[in-house]
Amino acid sequence: MMNRLISWACAALIVLSSFTVAIESAEAHGERAQMPQLRMRSVHWFDVNVSTVDMQINDIVKVTGSFMPSKYWPEHVQSIEKTAFLNIGVPGPSFVRLDSRVNGVPMIRSTAFMKGERYNFEVTLKARKVGRYHVHPVINVEGTGPIIGPGLWVDVGGDEAAFENSATTLLGQTIDLETYGLRNAAFWSALWFVIGLAWFAYWLSKCPIVVPRFKRVDELGVVNADKIITTTDRRVGFVFLVLTLSLVTGSYMYTQEKWPITTPLQTGKVEVPPLEAESMPLKVRLTDARYRIPGRSFRMELEVTNSGDSPVTVGEFAAGNLRFINSAVLQVTPKDEDDLIAADALRVEGGSVAPGETRTIVVYADDALWETQRMTTMIASPDALVAGLLFFFDANGERYPVEVGGMMIPEFV
Amino acid sequence: MSQELTVSAVRSTAEQHRVHVQVDLLAIPLVVLLFAAVFSFQFALLVGDWDYWIDWRDRRWWPLVTPLALTILPAVFSYFLWERLRLPLAATLTILALTAAAWVSRYLNFHLFANFPMNMVWPSAYIGLGLIVDCILLLTGSFFWTGLLGGFAFAVLLYPMNWPLLAPFQVPLELHGTMLTVSDLMGFEYVRTAIPEYVRIIEQSTLRTFGEAVTPLTAVFAGFLNIMNFWFWTWIGYLGSKALWIRKIV
Repeated sequence: MMNRLISWACAALIVLSSFTVAIESAEAHGERAQMPQLRMRSVHWFDVNVSTVDMQINDIVKVTGSFMPSKYWPEHVQSIEKTAFLNIGVPGPSFVRLDSRVNGVPMIRSTAFMKGERYNFEVTLKARKVGRYHVHPVINVEGTGPIIGPGLWVDVGGDEAAFENSATTLLGQTIDLETYGLRNAAFWSALWFVIGLAWFAYWLSKCPIVVPRFKRVDELGVVNADKIITTTDRRVGFVFLVLTLSLVTGSYMYTQEKWPITTPLQTGKVEVPPLEAESMPLKVRLTDARYRIPGRSFRMELEVTNSGDSPVTVGEFAAGNLRFINSAVLQVTPKDEDDLIAADALRVEGGSVAPGETRTIVVYADDALWETQRMTTMIASPDALVAGLLFFFDANGERYPVEVGGMMIPEFV
Repeated sequence: MSQELTVSAVRSTAEQHRVHVQVDLLAIPLVVLLFAAVFSFQFALLVGDWDYWIDWRDRRWWPLVTPLALTILPAVFSYFLWERLRLPLAATLTILALTAAAWVSRYLNFHLFANFPMNMVWPSAYIGLGLIVDCILLLTGSFFWTGLLGGFAFAVLLYPMNWPLLAPFQVPLELHGTMLTVSDLMGFEYVRTAIPEYVRIIEQSTLRTFGEAVTPLTAVFAGFLNIMNFWFWTWIGYLGSKALWIRKIV
């Protein structure tokens, strides 16, 4: 008896733990599945924020931030400079997207983004379904797929039945986008169902049909098999044919009368000018990059030239949506439990770079995030190139984002 | 010496009638379910998004791709049901089964599970196309004429048959300085992370069209293609009904 109880308890434990595993993997929703070198060398996202994390149905949330397509974009991946679309990563239409802009340009259609340029985005969403959602900005690149940005959790509560989403057509009609046109589509579909079922019923009325007709056709042979078709069958067929053609013609004419003004589906590309380049007093060259696997430590040797008038130092290194912060320069707190920030994981050797000086500094980004976010498989890359965004800060707190990239050497011991 | 006796299990005409009815009761629902399953799978593979979303039903690709894919099973099964049972029913029945399965799937999967509003994902109306093919087959008794007239009409009439359902969604409106149709607006607002705007395979320009007659030209072109398409798939039905491959195996 005791053994049986223990067996049942073990079985229940296994089932429960499998649920836990399933829930955990569902929360990850795929960001970590993308190859690290693609994450590091496609789009650098930064300053991603949501205007609220707790909202009700019909409330508005704005997802804002900036991104920079990498200058080290992989050769084998179709370029973001051809066709791309700013999207939002949420589970289905849990929100409706009211507006989406990059550098102020509406992003209803697709566009192209230039490598090395900076873009600010703002997406306005309206809550539609109750739940807890990890909201990500996403850039879909044609031929490449979705390049997902950092996600933040947003809670939506309230009454889904109260959701409203209307629009006004150019003919002045205000429509409810949740239900518009459905009754009409259902009516015509039902009408065709009735006619189709009537045709089916006519032949079913001759039941039994399978065996007797099979035998009769077999007896009559191919040449005489048409004798099985009666005059009534032909008359009914003629009536249905005329009815069908009349209904198609009549309904088409009725529709033309009712909706005389329509336009074809709209598509095309829009142009988004990049932000005007800010004055950049820094020149940074990555001279050596090594990833030490046992210590989960990324080491970069950088040659920095400061032509500005204030000393600068590295405050942050961002790569593949992970942020490594130098706490001596910058205090950053994670916005939620899944905000991928290592708040005290960036160490800089060589100090700040004085105005007019060229100096070699060494930056260490050491954190378990490399491992937990599956970035360590960067050593499996076929070209062993890495890239990331360094944020330098001057004495006045002015921030200078600079992209660095180059070859990476793994260290195994 | 043993003597083989063949004794029928059916002893009267009434009993035979009952058996035949029972065969119908078993076979017909199974065939309808089979049609629904096979057609749903085949249609999802070959047409897919063009039928799933209203912002994919354009004037150029949807009326061309859809009839070519939609003709396959009606043509194959028309041959079988006509040659073996003289039943001009396959086109209507397959499309009825497909449409019924599509409504169930859109409601359960797209609307209830994935949360898209039903008016964004309703299935198109194709049942009338099946009726035209079946009636022409019944009246002519010929696959040649059915292909020529029915196959052509099948593709030509797809767009006008759906226009009463579709027209309200192609009314223009303005969003942030851009003109859109109601369909485009729904495609933009109801977020589909995996379906960015550029993925839609829809008409992109008017340079290659003849005046403004985009839809009629596409429909007539699709009609001509569909004549051969119908004949080809009827021929496949002919091969299938002979079941040569079974004889080779057995």
